[in-house]
Amino acid sequence: MELLMPGLGLIFWMTVAFGIVLFILKKYAWEPILQVMYAREQQLEKTFTDAKRIEHEMTQLDTMKSTKIAEAEKAYDEMIAKAHADAEKIISEAREKAADEAREIGEKTEEMIEKYKEEAFRQIKSQISALSMDIAEKVLTEELSDRNRNSHYVSKLLDEIKVN
Amino acid sequence: MIIVSVSLYGDRKMVRHHCRMCLLAVMLLFTHLAAYGAERDVTAGQAEKYELDARKIIVDHVLDSYEWHLFDIGDRNVSIYLPVILFYENGFYLFSSKRLAHGTKAYKNFAIAQEGPHKGRIIRVLDDGSTPDPHASYIVDLSITKTVLAVFIASLLICLLFVKVGAKYRKAETYHTPRGLPLFFEPIIMFVRDHIAILAIGPDRYHRFMPYLLTVFFFIFINNLLGLVPFFPGGVNVTGNISVTFVLAMFTFFTTHWYANKSYWKHMFNMPGVPAFLKFPIPVMPVIEIAGAFIKPFTLMIRLFANMTAGHMVILSLTTLIFVLGSVSMVMGYSISPLAVLFLVFLNFLKILVSFLQAYIFTLFSAFFFGMAVPKESH
Repeated sequence: MELLMPGLGLIFWMTVAFGIVLFILKKYAWEPILQVMYAREQQLEKTFTDAKRIEHEMTQLDTMKSTKIAEAEKAYDEMIAKAHADAEKIISEAREKAADEAREIGEKTEEMIEKYKEEAFRQIKSQISALSMDIAEKVLTEELSDRNRNSHYVSKLLDEIKVN
Repeated sequence: MIIVSVSLYGDRKMVRHHCRMCLLAVMLLFTHLAAYGAERDVTAGQAEKYELDARKIIVDHVLDSYEWHLFDIGDRNVSIYLPVILFYENGFYLFSSKRLAHGTKAYKNFAIAQEGPHKGRIIRVLDDGSTPDPHASYIVDLSITKTVLAVFIASLLICLLFVKVGAKYRKAETYHTPRGLPLFFEPIIMFVRDHIAILAIGPDRYHRFMPYLLTVFFFIFINNLLGLVPFFPGGVNVTGNISVTFVLAMFTFFTTHWYANKSYWKHMFNMPGVPAFLKFPIPVMPVIEIAGAFIKPFTLMIRLFANMTAGHMVILSLTTLIFVLGSVSMVMGYSISPLAVLFLVFLNFLKILVSFLQAYIFTLFSAFFFGMAVPKESH
């Protein structure tokens, strides 16, 4: 029975001692300890979330980089293609222009040839007419004696020249 | 329970094996004792005068006392005589317990009762120095007894230790790994927080109970460990004293009801979801609930007290066994001692585990009671 009988004195002193221990430890031990533990955990958590965020950002940057590269490649290809097309165009244009010019030159030349030809014909004609005149004069002078006999023939000659 | 608790920790297979071995050892020991008992009956007449009073030794060691017995040198008893503080009939008495001479003498009509309901406590005696005064009124006894001094020493030790740890935390850079004492205590603090407070109370409401839970945990744990030290200032059965466990349980009780919220009181006096005839006219449910509120701390008190006292008694029994047998015959004493010492070593290891376990259980159950006192207001 002695074992199971609580004693007043011990209860009193135990209450006092435990109360003081509780108060002191709460103020000078548990509060700073728990605070630091909590702060440390917060910091760890923050570090983790930061790492996660940075990782996420890195992947984002990676995808961004690859898209940029793809875009650049695409633009390069386009530029090359465009340059090729331009070159083609310029060449074909030049070719066309040259052809046109050549044709023009040809046409001009033809025109000039025509003109010279006409000129030449005209000169030939005038020379022929002069010659004819000379011939006619000679014939005439020769034939004047026999004017009636040859006049018909002269006109016939002249007609023949005109046809040419 | 001990075997179950052992198997909770560590390698189960190995522990089970060890436990089996130990049970075998205990059985062997009891066989020896039975044989010894049978033998003693025959030779009782001759042996009795040498026999030690083992029961008295064990109970005296487990109980509180007005002096702190350190050791004997031959016949000389070396003790610390503690102050006796009494309030009796408007009078205040303060004197050394040496004046009571281990209960053999009376001083100013005060003596230690040798029998009766107040055995071991100071009572008022008549002028002859031994007969209890039949007309004595109540004595308020606030003596600094052995257990009180042990509580003071343990409290001082705990305060010094944890204030030192706390001071290190005050200066600490938060992101540094703890070193030294903090490194030792932080996992235990974390254990109390994660596996006791958060588990039993809930992650959003445990904060305000942390200081109490940690204090009670370390108070019990360190007192248990000090109780295992066989010499001054250890060896006192502090946590196996019913007054100490009573005070601890009372602290849990008052903390529970101080922080209890509306839902708790509602459950106590007007349990929702229970048919009305259980509450009126005979308030069955409230009576059960109110009784439960007192039974809970009562179980805390008894559990800790019984476990620690039983542990002390087993260790003391084994120690005294050597001397009891030795007083019968020297050969017997010497032959039993290796076995007893082996078993004592094992028991001491077990007691270290039990020290932790009992502190854990007391704290866990306190936390469960707090958790019940602050439920989420969901009903």
